[in-house]
Amino acid sequence: MQGEPRLDSRIIEEMLKFGENVVKAPRVVAAPDEISLEVTPHSVVSSMDKTRLLRYKPMTNRQYRTPLLISYALINRFHILDIHPEKSWIRNLLQQGFDVYVLDWGTPTSMDKYLDFDDYVNGYLDNYVEYIKNESSVEKISLQGYCTGATITTVYTALHPENVKNYISTAPVIDGWHDTTVISNLAKHVDVDKMVETIGNMPPEFMYYCFSVLKPFEQGLEKYVNFFKNIDNKKFVDGFLRIEKWLSDTPPIPGELFRQWIKNIYQDNLLIQNKMHVGGDHVNLRNIDMPAFTQIAVGDHLVSPECSMPLHYAIGSQDKTMKIYPSGHVGMIASSLSQKKVLPELGQWLVERS
Amino acid sequence: MKSDIGNDQANQYKHLSLFWTDIIHLMSGKPHALASVGPMRAFMANSKKISTEMIEINENLVEFNKYLAEYYDQLMETWNTAQKKVNLTALKIPLDAEQVEALKRTWIGTFDNDFTELFDSTKFGENYGMLVSKELELTKHWNAIVNTILRSANIPSKEEIDEIYKEVHTLKKRVSRLELELKKAGVRKNAR
Repeated sequence: MQGEPRLDSRIIEEMLKFGENVVKAPRVVAAPDEISLEVTPHSVVSSMDKTRLLRYKPMTNRQYRTPLLISYALINRFHILDIHPEKSWIRNLLQQGFDVYVLDWGTPTSMDKYLDFDDYVNGYLDNYVEYIKNESSVEKISLQGYCTGATITTVYTALHPENVKNYISTAPVIDGWHDTTVISNLAKHVDVDKMVETIGNMPPEFMYYCFSVLKPFEQGLEKYVNFFKNIDNKKFVDGFLRIEKWLSDTPPIPGELFRQWIKNIYQDNLLIQNKMHVGGDHVNLRNIDMPAFTQIAVGDHLVSPECSMPLHYAIGSQDKTMKIYPSGHVGMIASSLSQKKVLPELGQWLVERS
Repeated sequence: MKSDIGNDQANQYKHLSLFWTDIIHLMSGKPHALASVGPMRAFMANSKKISTEMIEINENLVEFNKYLAEYYDQLMETWNTAQKKVNLTALKIPLDAEQVEALKRTWIGTFDNDFTELFDSTKFGENYGMLVSKELELTKHWNAIVNTILRSANIPSKEEIDEIYKEVHTLKKRVSRLELELKKAGVRKNAR
């Protein structure tokens, strides 16, 4: 038997340990339902239909005069911006002295299937911008949009530039024809009219399917193996469960909005060509003439940089900055990189203009 | 040729079913007219609609299965290709922990790349689009059946509820616009 290859004992050891961890996991790890994702203290200062406006408690004695409103994406919930005290986008901005508001789009029901771009832009968002202007006694506010939330804020800023002092777009969905992600490929081949007419709102299950085809083996398999391997690492487990809970909480998207989205952004690509109309008004990106800051993640597999970058070149601002970070879609807003680099740079840019 | 025979059989079955449904409906119409306000009368009147939908569901199901089979064929083909690639790069069975880790990384990397390439292809996109379209056709038939049953029980159908939702949505928009105009008028008045 001498000379025959022998299996490394560490492999068997690892397999046994993995099995033990799977059995042990329910005893040592909290269920996702038991974890609260609302970390930083805030209050609901206004609401309209199912949407809410949250205002975060200041963390500094003095604050910059221009308040900042953040519009989160329509997919998943705003909690990723405040997922963990050490990785919280909101907390970091509060600590830098900004007055932060966040728009929670809520959970649409069947009754909301006719809500469209006009309702989101000229209804909800405009209503909250006016509210903040009145509360803070300012003429203009700073506005930030993330992912699909940035599409809404981009349209809003183009239609109501008089209300926006500084515009920040983070991984914005803008140029559907140049998007190189799998989502874009699926969106181009779906009969969206039939879909909306038959099922109304876009169900979360459909959105889950779209996400499941992004890095299916790394995201669908390896990360769970890593979770069970690391169940004794409290910090890792806490971070993992928070992200997983956030990922699993996807509200439906109002049917009419979804239809306009797929057609105007992915199929006909009207926004970047300045051919889109919302509520009867022409959306011209050249109208965005205030200071603008565009944040892009080079490894973004949800919104490719090619989809976001054209915004920087299409707007009319003279004072415009584009930053590209070595990160992914979520990593850009909820990671140590975002705390150490992305947020300080954003804060500095805002301070100079607030 | 094979599908023509299949279509002929389906049409024949559809005709046979509709013929008997119609005949039974005509034969039973008069006695049931006596109880014209009862649920059974309405249900009988709608039974033809239900049987037509059921037949069409079968037709769509055949189409749906065709695209579903193609969907899994594409997945399977990609899986086999990716596995072959992994086999070529890892000819030897790993014997130590480092080799296992390296093989795992290669496996995940290769599979993620190949599957992303598939999901990004026109071939996959088109088939997926058709698969979803046929699934929606099935949902449409199902909705039509449910609506027929609801109507026979004097309960508003999905279309009728949708009309109300649309009306509410339009009214809300009109109210918002009026509120905005009032607000603007108030601001102008205060300015004077």
